[in-house]
Amino acid sequence: MSAVLSDRSDRAAGRRAGSARRPLLGRFAHGYVAPAALLVAGLLYAPFLWTAYLSLTRYDGLESPEWVGLRNFARLLGDPALLTSVRNTLIWVAGTMLLPVGVGLLVAVLSYDIRGGAWFRLPFMLPYALSGAGLAVVWSPILSHDGIANRLLGVDTAFLQVAPHNTLAMLLVWTWQQVGVNTLLFVVGLQSIPKEPVEAARIDGASGWRLFRHVIWPLMAPLTAVVVGLALVASLKTFDIVWVMTQGGPGRNSETLAVTMYRDTFVASEYGYGSAVAVLLTVVTGLASYLYLRRQVR
Amino acid sequence: MFRSRVATLGVAALVLAACGANDAAEPKKKTELTLYNDKGAWSKYFEEMGALSRQAIGLGMKPSGYTDSAQYQAFVKASFRTDVKPDLFTWQTGGMLEEIVKQRQVADTTAVWQEAIKAGDLSQDLAPYYTVGGKQYCVPLNVAYWGMFYNKKIFDRYGLKPPATWDDLVGIAETLKKNGVKAFYHTSVLFSFVWFEQLMAGTDPDLYDRLSTGKAKYTDPGVVAVMERWKALIDAGYFINPGDKTDPGDVLKNGKAAMVSFGTWFNTSMTQREMKAGADYGFFVIPNVNPALPKTSMIFESGPLCALAEAADPDASMRYLKWWTTAQAQEKWATTRGDVSANPKVAIADQALGAVTKDAGSGTYRLVNRYFEATPPPVLTAALDGFGAFVTEPGTYKEVLEGIQKAADDYWSTHQ
Repeated sequence: MSAVLSDRSDRAAGRRAGSARRPLLGRFAHGYVAPAALLVAGLLYAPFLWTAYLSLTRYDGLESPEWVGLRNFARLLGDPALLTSVRNTLIWVAGTMLLPVGVGLLVAVLSYDIRGGAWFRLPFMLPYALSGAGLAVVWSPILSHDGIANRLLGVDTAFLQVAPHNTLAMLLVWTWQQVGVNTLLFVVGLQSIPKEPVEAARIDGASGWRLFRHVIWPLMAPLTAVVVGLALVASLKTFDIVWVMTQGGPGRNSETLAVTMYRDTFVASEYGYGSAVAVLLTVVTGLASYLYLRRQVR
Repeated sequence: MFRSRVATLGVAALVLAACGANDAAEPKKKTELTLYNDKGAWSKYFEEMGALSRQAIGLGMKPSGYTDSAQYQAFVKASFRTDVKPDLFTWQTGGMLEEIVKQRQVADTTAVWQEAIKAGDLSQDLAPYYTVGGKQYCVPLNVAYWGMFYNKKIFDRYGLKPPATWDDLVGIAETLKKNGVKAFYHTSVLFSFVWFEQLMAGTDPDLYDRLSTGKAKYTDPGVVAVMERWKALIDAGYFINPGDKTDPGDVLKNGKAAMVSFGTWFNTSMTQREMKAGADYGFFVIPNVNPALPKTSMIFESGPLCALAEAADPDASMRYLKWWTTAQAQEKWATTRGDVSANPKVAIADQALGAVTKDAGSGTYRLVNRYFEATPPPVLTAALDGFGAFVTEPGTYKEVLEGIQKAADDYWSTHQ
């Protein structure tokens, strides 16, 4: 009886303590969240909303923004530089899927489950230590007209000057760096797939391409969705490598949407128009990611 | 609970008090000014000037140099709206100076100019470049006359002398070509306008002036003819690859190109590379394309050093600008960089540059405002892109001119 009473009184005491603590927490809960919420609001939401507002104005960074409605977006439609930029961005997206992602998958599959596979993958990993800007600085002289690339190939090609060669050349440089990380992610994917279905398929006589196509590839789907999703977003916002290697030129012929956004905003001092490009880039990236992920998650 | 509320109120009161005290503080008297500039490579020379000014007027200066002019301009513009304001900053004359004067951001230096002209420290001829609405703003950070720097050793090797006529210059380029040497430097980035302005000014300087004021079109026959001449020079193989990212100072030193056309400030690049004037390199005035012109056209530029209208310590900033124009400051500024000076009293050490400065001052040349300053910013942006595309693919010259004219039409439709 006393044990029962004691148990009841403990629970009652616990309830009292809980009821006393809960209002206290409730009263200060917003205070605890406020610093983080303010940081997010101030550093993420506010600049985004400000950019969205600026995209509807004409603003040179000096005078107050002048409201122009959707005029900047209408101008985007007829801007030949933007069309070039969209074309180049599409090349970057398609090229990234084909090369850094495709080659990364190939290297992972070829090197997985073989003796010395890690050593085979290692050289692909090393360039990932470089930053995008560092990568561009290293490759610019190699691809210049009197650089090593022309000498080794015995040609005289303006790799970084004529479109779309310059975009393709930069894409190859990007591939050189990105294959390693994609390989690593695919290897993780390969390691995480359950052994049983693969064994079962082998016992049933599946091997090689058929085993990969019908068993391994579907099992890797969740990770592939992540790799492709990340590559999609990274390729849509390509900036550093292009800015350092060609500054989007010559004559704007290698600009991507991100470079156009920077150039129109800070070089041409058209903050309103540059913000419209930023909004367009955000919408395109958001939409592409949403559509892709929705299809994958379905 | 009561205690924690009291503590919270206490902290808030302290924060408010701190803010309030800051707001109510008197403008701080500065003993050192920060000079923001887009000439990062000149930091060493700015620091030497800071040390000298500390001795001379008790006011030090430390530079904060940018190397990317777009980033620099964005920073300065943003600073107008924030509390992080430069005490002094470099800028550009022409449309860009007008922009910030219109916004009442830049300090009026009319009194400094009047005093300096009276004392013979500044020339009256320079004042128009700094005048907006009848008042002067900023002081000259530097002045530069444009011509051709050439590799003396290459010239000597092939028995070449500085040209007296345009045909001589083309002849030199042809000789160099026959000997496997590229004659001229040009680039598709930023300085892509250099050969356009030079060919325009040497062919028809009046048309050049009309272009910069919107009274002529980039598609006019005179401009098209200049582009065709430029194309012919490129097609003849006289230029290095425009995508070459080698620093032009190294291009000249290494003989990648025998000639580089720049302002006299390029002499600083020679000084930095320990090249000796007269032995390693020389400088000549580029002859007119059109020999019938009464005077040789010479591109001229002057970059301003400015103070904000609402500087942290306006008196100190103004005192510094005033000192900057004096012979003492300019002697040091010109000598350490091996450049010419805005102050006529300063003797130029380099013989060739000294002669050019003297001749320019005596009216021998027709001074033509550099394209970068003479052209309104939106037209300039389109033109730099256009010329960058042209030097890579010269066959596109008509499209390039049409593109620039479109930007010019947009601009001049609202700015007359």
